[in-house]
Amino acid sequence: MKKLLSYLLVVLTAFPLIAMGSSESGKEIVTIWHCSSGRAGTALEEIIDEFNSTIGEEKGIEIEAVYQGLANDVITKVKAAASADISSLPDIAQLDATACLDMMNADYLYTIDELGIDTSDIMPQAMGAFTSYKGLLGMPFSCSLLLAYYNKTLFDSLSLKAPETLDELTAIAPLLGEKDSSGNVTRYAFAGVPTTYELGAFIGAQKGLSYFVDMENGHQGTPTEVLFGKEGTFRNFLEHWKALADTGYLNSIPSGTTAEFASGRAAMILASSSNLTRILADVSGRFEVGTAFVPKTDENATGGVNIGGEALFCYSDSDAVKTVIEYLISTEVQMKWSQATGYVAVNTEIYSNPEYIAFLESNPAYSKAIEQAEASNPKVVGIWLPSAYQIYYSFQSNIMEVAAGSITIDQAVDNMVSIVQTALDEYARANID
Amino acid sequence: MKRRELKAFAYIAPALVMALLFSYLPLIRSFISSFLTISQSGQIRGFAGFGNYIRLFSDDAFIRSIGHTIIFTLLFVPLNTVLTTAAAALTRRKRKMSPVAEFIFLSPMAVSLSAYAIVFSEMFRGRISIINRMFSTDIAWLESPGTAMLVLVILGVFLDFGIDYILLLSAFRSIDKDVIDAARLDGAGPMQSLFLIELPMIKPMLSATVFMAIKDALLISAPVMVLTEGGPFRSTETVMYYYYLEAFRSGNRAVESTIATLSVSISIAAMAAISLRRRHARKDF
Repeated sequence: MKKLLSYLLVVLTAFPLIAMGSSESGKEIVTIWHCSSGRAGTALEEIIDEFNSTIGEEKGIEIEAVYQGLANDVITKVKAAASADISSLPDIAQLDATACLDMMNADYLYTIDELGIDTSDIMPQAMGAFTSYKGLLGMPFSCSLLLAYYNKTLFDSLSLKAPETLDELTAIAPLLGEKDSSGNVTRYAFAGVPTTYELGAFIGAQKGLSYFVDMENGHQGTPTEVLFGKEGTFRNFLEHWKALADTGYLNSIPSGTTAEFASGRAAMILASSSNLTRILADVSGRFEVGTAFVPKTDENATGGVNIGGEALFCYSDSDAVKTVIEYLISTEVQMKWSQATGYVAVNTEIYSNPEYIAFLESNPAYSKAIEQAEASNPKVVGIWLPSAYQIYYSFQSNIMEVAAGSITIDQAVDNMVSIVQTALDEYARANID
Repeated sequence: MKRRELKAFAYIAPALVMALLFSYLPLIRSFISSFLTISQSGQIRGFAGFGNYIRLFSDDAFIRSIGHTIIFTLLFVPLNTVLTTAAAALTRRKRKMSPVAEFIFLSPMAVSLSAYAIVFSEMFRGRISIINRMFSTDIAWLESPGTAMLVLVILGVFLDFGIDYILLLSAFRSIDKDVIDAARLDGAGPMQSLFLIELPMIKPMLSATVFMAIKDALLISAPVMVLTEGGPFRSTETVMYYYYLEAFRSGNRAVESTIATLSVSISIAAMAAISLRRRHARKDF
């Protein structure tokens, strides 16, 4: 019995030593929890392997990358780890905008400014997406933005250009759409239901710059008041959207839009620029894919789109972490990363690099995303909200119901103002002094 | 006597300690928390009274999630019971080819839940889905509210099929042959034998599978998570998925503790009611 106990003790005391951040080779381990899968996952693995065999070898650092699911799975796990035991947090986590509000209020986060990393070469629109009153929360890494994809072959055959406003889209919708002899729609002008992401452009761009909620969409502090209701921006969008729906050629499906587009059943969709490579593969040459700026809600909606995607958030301020972040935003890595995945390169030095210019010239669809990013107001930023997930689905439901005519525009605006305001109040009640 | 009692306690001690640590203590904590305002990081910020409960029941999404759970249960439990019982009844006689049928019906057990959910989501995705091709239908299964719930029910049946089938099949096969032979000699046909003799004899197992199905239906969350994420348009959001969204995605402790307290209270009440009924039933004998 005594023997057994002493064995147990040895194992128990040894365990923390194994779990601590140093490998057998004595290197300092930097753990990254990431959400890059598929093409991006492979590219990230290659980038990390290269670090481990070059800079890492030299400086005694080893990156250990752990895939933790989608971006919102990663934040769920980060929050769970933080509330259980701070030491179980990774050194770096790849998170998207839905994590920002929590990270802004988290005392275990080290901002990029606190780490002292030079950000002078980072694209200002990408920085804006992750900047709060506390500074830059995370280093933009896998950035993308909303882009309009259209069936260029179809548009050309009708001698149409990509619509610049929703009204233009509504006007040409009957031309783009198609019905069979029994009146069923076989091709829609547009497929999809806008939600938080798309509204970032449809609401954010209105009057040059509009916010959903106060505190500059939550970037300057925890938001307390809904603005899209009283400023009339949501109503304005819904009016234009309803007109499009009334043509009968709007297909209000919340998912699977790229499949509809690739099969030629939708003339136009909105999707992240990071889907470009996949969409091109899905279409596989059946027709020419065009990319364009997101249609404006009206003539005065000139703000452009906000940058989305993910940034790298740090939970350790060691030199090793700093080295890893600096490596991941270096021109070489960003060049490789953006070519392999379609993400917008965040390091602006790349845009004057001849190799990258040549890449864009041979892939014009990619350059549209960068063009749109540069044409956008850096102040048009994503929304940092509590209960982001529920609000995302509520926007989708209400917009779909307006399109279907089952609720009025007034009802939809009232519903959403009340849902978002309740979420803000609840968050403030529990979390803000 | 004392010694024996001590021994008995010693035997159940490990289970008791586990239950205390992982069930009862958290339960008491949740109960207390449900009357407090607690921040995401776990700090107590004040007394909320019934505020958390009022908040929960004034949330449309929560009320709708109860509706979705009830609809799912009403569709899932009868369908699951009828299909598994039918499959077990049809294959209950041991024959040469029995292993083939058994293999087919048991195979759903061999693959993990999420793998099946992903396969289902691919098979039903969009109007150009594999299912639409197979049955030459034109339905946007996962993109329209009613049909998405149906796909969820089908997936649920599929996931529970294997375990229910094996339980019912073994119940059928453990029936004393003499009873069935005697019935046949008395002139009972195969239908009469099944409905009047065999089914009543496997009633205990049948009710066990029905209760398991009810439990699975009321607590369904994982298939929702992978297959529909509560969509389209929040139409498949069940109570447990709503709980997951609020508690884990949004760190909303008010909802976390209230739903936990409510669901445990309901199951305690249900168990108490059942055991009371059983006690009464025994007295009647």
